[in-house]
Amino acid sequence: MCPEPESDLAQEYEALTQFVYLAPAGLVQARSDGEIVMINPVAAQLMMPLSHDGDLSNLFTALEDIAPDLRSRLAAFTAPQGMVCDGVHLLAPGGAKGGRRLFSFSLIKLDGSLVMAMLQDVTAQAQRERLLRHQEIWLTAILTGVADYALIDLDTRGCVTEWNESIGRVTGHGPEVVGRSLAVFYPEDAITPERVLDRLHEAEHSGWSLDDGWRLRADGKRFWGSAMIAPQRALADDHQLAAALSGADETGYCLIVRDMSGHHDAAEEARHAAICDHLTGISNRRAFFDAAETELRRWRRLPRPLSLILIDADHFKKINDTHGHPVGDAVLRHIARLMGATFRQVDVVARIGGEEFAVLLPSADLVSAQRVAERLRAALESQPAQTDAGPVACTVSIGIATMDDATSSVEALLKRADEALYAAKHGGRNRVCGPVLVLAEPG
Amino acid sequence: MNTQLALEFSQPEILEQLLALNAGELDTLDFGVIGMAADTVVCDYNALESKMAGLSKERVIGHPLFTSVAPCMNNFMVAQRFEDTAAADQALDLTLDYVLTLRMRPVKVKLRLLASPRADRRFVLVNRKP
Repeated sequence: MCPEPESDLAQEYEALTQFVYLAPAGLVQARSDGEIVMINPVAAQLMMPLSHDGDLSNLFTALEDIAPDLRSRLAAFTAPQGMVCDGVHLLAPGGAKGGRRLFSFSLIKLDGSLVMAMLQDVTAQAQRERLLRHQEIWLTAILTGVADYALIDLDTRGCVTEWNESIGRVTGHGPEVVGRSLAVFYPEDAITPERVLDRLHEAEHSGWSLDDGWRLRADGKRFWGSAMIAPQRALADDHQLAAALSGADETGYCLIVRDMSGHHDAAEEARHAAICDHLTGISNRRAFFDAAETELRRWRRLPRPLSLILIDADHFKKINDTHGHPVGDAVLRHIARLMGATFRQVDVVARIGGEEFAVLLPSADLVSAQRVAERLRAALESQPAQTDAGPVACTVSIGIATMDDATSSVEALLKRADEALYAAKHGGRNRVCGPVLVLAEPG
Repeated sequence: MNTQLALEFSQPEILEQLLALNAGELDTLDFGVIGMAADTVVCDYNALESKMAGLSKERVIGHPLFTSVAPCMNNFMVAQRFEDTAAADQALDLTLDYVLTLRMRPVKVKLRLLASPRADRRFVLVNRKP
C-alpha cells in the first residue's frame, strides 16, 4: 500500500552494508568446514596476503600457515556454541612491504553449522606495549639499588636550569646551583669543562651518556653514584611543541644523578676485574687504549689540550734480581699508588707493560703535564717503597707528548711519548723529558 | 547507440576514452568504474559498480575511496601504487587479480588501475568476468 517502508528498508540495508564494509575489524562468517559465507573488507585485506594465490573461499585454508590447528580446535570444541578462541595472537609473515605482523584472532561457534571469526592487526598496539614494558624495565633498572636520585634539567651548555627538591636531597645544593655547570656534582679533578661538552655531545649523538664514579655533595662529601645525561628532545615527542611550551628555542638535557651508596662494592668489583691491572689496581693496558681512542675521537671533533705521559721504572731488572719478584711487585704497587695520588681523577692512569706505566691527561697542555710529571718523579725519588726487604728506592724516567695536528692516532702519540722517554733514559734516568723537537733548518 | 561506448575492460589506451565519458555513458559499461581525484575523493561510480557493491552513488561520490568506501583496496597493491606512480610523475596502467568483498562475499575480480600525470582523474576498473 505504502511504498515507503520498502524504500526505508533498502536504505537501511545499504547503510548496514556500508557499516560492515567500514568496520575497522576483520569479520568473517563461515560454515563449520571453513567455507566463507561472508567476509568484510578488513578481513580480506588481512587474509589475502596469507592465503596462497589470494584465494579466500575457506577460512581455515586461508589461515593455515599461521594457525594450522583451527580445524581441530573447532572439532575439539564440543559445546553447542561459544568462544572457541578469544584474542589469540597469530604471527603473520611480512608482506611485500613491511615486516611481520601480529594478529589478534577470535573464533566463535554460532551453532552446529556456522562460525564467526574476528581478525585484527594489533602490530602497532603490541609495539606500543612492548615499548612501554621496555621503558618500565629501564626505569626499574635505573632505580634498583639506588638509595636516591636527583632529576636535573640542564640547558644546552650543561648548566642547571632549575632547582628541585631531589637536587637538594641527593646533592645538598640549594637553588644557588642554578646556572652552574653539571661539573659542580663531580669532585674537582674528576671532570673538565671540555669533558662536560663531550658528555653532552655523546648524549646528543647516541641518545644518552652514562658514567659511574665519585660524585660530590655541596658539603664536600663524596658518594658513589652514576650520572646519566639524555637530550630532552628524546623525551618530548614533539620538539617544536616542547620548545613552544617552554618558550625556548633550544631544548637542553636531562641529568639523572643516582646515589648508589652501598651498591658501589659489587658493581665496582665487577668493573675492576674487567678493566684493572691485577697487580697494581690501576687501569690495564686494554682499558688505557680504549680510553685513549675515546679521547682521541673527542679531540678530533673538538681539538683541545691532551697529553700523554709514559713512565718507566729505572733499573727495575736490578731490583728484581737483587730482592726477588715479590719485592719487585711491591715496588710496582708503590709506583701505582703514588701515581694515583698525583694525578687527577679524570686522568687515565694505567700499567701498560711490565714496569711501564702511562697516563692520559685530558685538557692538560704540555706545561701542566710536565709540572705534574715532575711532581711524581720527585715523590718517587724521596719516598722509597716499603717492602718485606725493607725500604727500596726506585726512581722513574718520564716521557711526555702532547696532541697536535700532526698527530693522527693513539699509536703516533704513544710513539712520540716513547721517544721522549728514550731521551730521559739516555739523559741519565730519574728525569722528565718533553717532546723531542725537530726544528726546521733555518733558511 | 554510439559504438564508441562499447569499451572493453582490457582494451588498450582506455584512460583517454574514459575521461571523455559522462556519468550516463559510464553507466552503460559492463565493468565497474570508480573514478577519483588526486586526493582519492570519488567522483565517478558507475551503475554496475554500485550494483555489485550494494552502495548507491550518493553514498560513495564525494568520499575518499580508500578510507571511506573501499578499505580493502587501502594497501600496497592498490592505494600505494597510485601514490607511488603519482610521486614518480609516471603513468599507471596495471591489471591485477584481486578479491573484493562485494556485499560481504569474497569475489575474485580483475582490477585495472589507471592514472596519468596529464589526467586529473584516476580510475579503478573492476571486472567480475573470469
